[in-house]
Amino acid sequence: MPSKESNQPATTRAARLIFEYEGERVRLVSQQVVEMVVTGFDIARAHHAGVYVDARDAEDRTLSRVPARDAFATSTEVFPERAGEAIVRVDTARPKGAFTVVIPVPQETNKVAVVRVVPAQLDAKLPAGGTTSRVAGAAEATDLATFPLTLN
Amino acid sequence: MSTADGAVIGTTQIAGSAPRNRAFNVVLLAEGFTAAQQNDFNNACMTFVNTFRTTPPFDELSAAINVFRVNVRSTDTGADDPVAAGGTGATVRTYFDASFGGNNIRRLLICNTTTALQVAAAQVPEFIVVLLVVNSTIYGGSGGSVGTYSLAGGATEIAIHEMGHTAFGLADEYPYYAGGNETGHDHHPAGEPGEPNVTTNSNRNTLKWRWAVASTTAIPTMANPNCSQVDGRPNPVPTGTVGLFEGAHYYHCGAYRPEYDCKMRALSVPFCRICRQVIWNRIGPLATLSARARTPISVIARFPEHLDVFAVASDGRTVSNWWDQSSGWAGWFNLMGGIASPGGPGSPVTAVHRYAGHIDLFTVGTDNRVWSAWWDAATGWHSWFQIGDLVCRQGSVINVVSRYSDHIDLFTTASDGRVMSTWWDVRSGWAPWFHVQGGVAASGAPVTVVARYPFHLDLFTVGTDNRVWSCWWDERSGWHGWFQIGNLQCRPDSTVTVVSRFPDQLDLFTTAADGRIMSIWWNSRKGWANWFHVSGGVASPGSPVTAIARYSGHLDLFVIGTDNRIYSTWWHENQSWAGWFNVSGGVGMPGGQVAAISRATEHLDLFTVGSDGLVYSTWWDGATGWAGWFALGVT
Ligand SMILES: [Zn+2]
Ligand SMILES: [Zn+2]
Repeated sequence: MPSKESNQPATTRAARLIFEYEGERVRLVSQQVVEMVVTGFDIARAHHAGVYVDARDAEDRTLSRVPARDAFATSTEVFPERAGEAIVRVDTARPKGAFTVVIPVPQETNKVAVVRVVPAQLDAKLPAGGTTSRVAGAAEATDLATFPLTLN
Repeated sequence: MSTADGAVIGTTQIAGSAPRNRAFNVVLLAEGFTAAQQNDFNNACMTFVNTFRTTPPFDELSAAINVFRVNVRSTDTGADDPVAAGGTGATVRTYFDASFGGNNIRRLLICNTTTALQVAAAQVPEFIVVLLVVNSTIYGGSGGSVGTYSLAGGATEIAIHEMGHTAFGLADEYPYYAGGNETGHDHHPAGEPGEPNVTTNSNRNTLKWRWAVASTTAIPTMANPNCSQVDGRPNPVPTGTVGLFEGAHYYHCGAYRPEYDCKMRALSVPFCRICRQVIWNRIGPLATLSARARTPISVIARFPEHLDVFAVASDGRTVSNWWDQSSGWAGWFNLMGGIASPGGPGSPVTAVHRYAGHIDLFTVGTDNRVWSAWWDAATGWHSWFQIGDLVCRQGSVINVVSRYSDHIDLFTTASDGRVMSTWWDVRSGWAPWFHVQGGVAASGAPVTVVARYPFHLDLFTVGTDNRVWSCWWDERSGWHGWFQIGNLQCRPDSTVTVVSRFPDQLDLFTTAADGRIMSIWWNSRKGWANWFHVSGGVASPGSPVTAIARYSGHLDLFVIGTDNRIYSTWWHENQSWAGWFNVSGGVGMPGGQVAAISRATEHLDLFTVGSDGLVYSTWWDGATGWAGWFALGVT
């Protein structure tokens, strides 16, 4: 290898989305096709608490999901001027700002959704050591907003 | 006070040479630099690059990192500095509207994040991280989707800490919210944080970073004796020791961090071992995988539109990649610090899915003990744990079968060649290892298994006489003694591959002492047939024969030939075996293995280590035939 007819599979189509938010209100500011890979690191498999963006088809099936790590931040960090002093957090009076994600958007994608996942009860109690037990329950997701995907 | 107060000049790549569509791209934006001050911005960018690329683990990942600077001119210099927050009262006209005094705290340097993201997306659409460099010597910075920092000494450290949140999903490890004198932060609330570098779990056996904790390290390593305050005592263990240190994630007690210190706890200190691992797993998957030369690859299809692949890297790290129809290949990532035992082809990572939302993994570690890890759709990966204290042969293979969803059977060889087994059941957990019917395998021979029925197991191996032996277990009658199958003489390290096309049929494939590819079959009506040579094929010494049945009347075989090319043949009901053919020109490793899976009847996916040491894949589809080989990474 490489062999005579080596052919790298096409990169999955991805979109860069930029959102603006104020409080819990969110608006899609821009969407563009972007030629880049999205690794498994960002394609959420475990549904921990947090905000995510979904790509969905016309039947509302989720095709891919990526974390929006900086969305709706209710606090911000303040850094010390001198090494060794504490980094501290301060609450923000009214969350306001912007965030971006790059998400795989297969051809059948027709909309994107901003989703809040609340912690699943099971996060609190992992099964005991040495077992591979099935765990009950699942995280709950709530749509904060959905937007049509218009890029082509 | 807006984009009217300046203009974007242009973009220059200042570090890295990775292809932009598969790289960790960092964009630096100029703020508060006039047209005449652009050189100051360029110099500040080089200072950032030097700090960033010498910060572990970025120093080892620089092949996958690009840094770009976007020169933007502003009408005025610096940033706003409101009097109310203790500033000079300066108001300046700049492109991104940067201002000190966010939340009335002078050091909190904020900007118009929408504009910053839009400029970055227009200039470098593939960016991962965007940082705003503000032309001021007043100390300041902030995090979020756009990290900001000023030219005051040490402010690049802010950018790297913030990258920990934005790009890597790391939690803050500091044990206070407002410096330690706050109220309401004595005890962390119940529940396990989702981030990989903080935990509320103090159980050594289920700790999420237990793979990094030495058995000699106390757990917890440091407990806070007074939860009303931050534990200010010095580190009781050597720097770099991974354990469980109480005080993390904004609370004095009840939450733990992996090391005493970390850049997610304080600026100007290195990232801890766990954070470095997370950063590796964010950037590493952008690359292809150099594999252990003969590592057997495992692949499972939990459902037809999804594949999970497991391999071992050239340095022994246990790695995985996955493919989903909607998102493509995810990229190779390290499985929780695991290192597989060398010896022979090296221990592979074997996998089983008892049901669609669950994966169990098995390997032999460098201590030659059996280790397992699992993944669950709801909770993600769970760290390696040891199964019993069996000492295996170096490089032993763990073969696994799940006869039904709440049960696992494992088979391997002990250091003296004894055929060993254990099982796990949802009700009783792991059983002790036991020796199967006195069987002893030849040096290097694995033990293969098939469950033709949920209540029946058939085992195969090459015995110390280099002949093929089998034994079976039935729920009603228990284990039955070993018996020899024909009189074929094998290589001692031959694998006996078994396929059950339907419950009352077995097809075996292996290699004779001279490398000839041999087969034999059994069915419940006619018993065992005789060994026969399959279409004149000869395997590279040590290469196992891979066989799969896409449906009951069809078999496909794959092997590395004596010229190291990848060959295939097939058998179809009522026809004879086809001739061997080279699959898409592929060349593998001497003695290597080809992994194959059929996730749909008219589809095959193959995986192997190519002659250049990278993992390659190809596929066959009934409608389109064989595709070319491609280096497996991220798509
Ligand atoms: Zn932080
Ligand atoms: Zn850390």
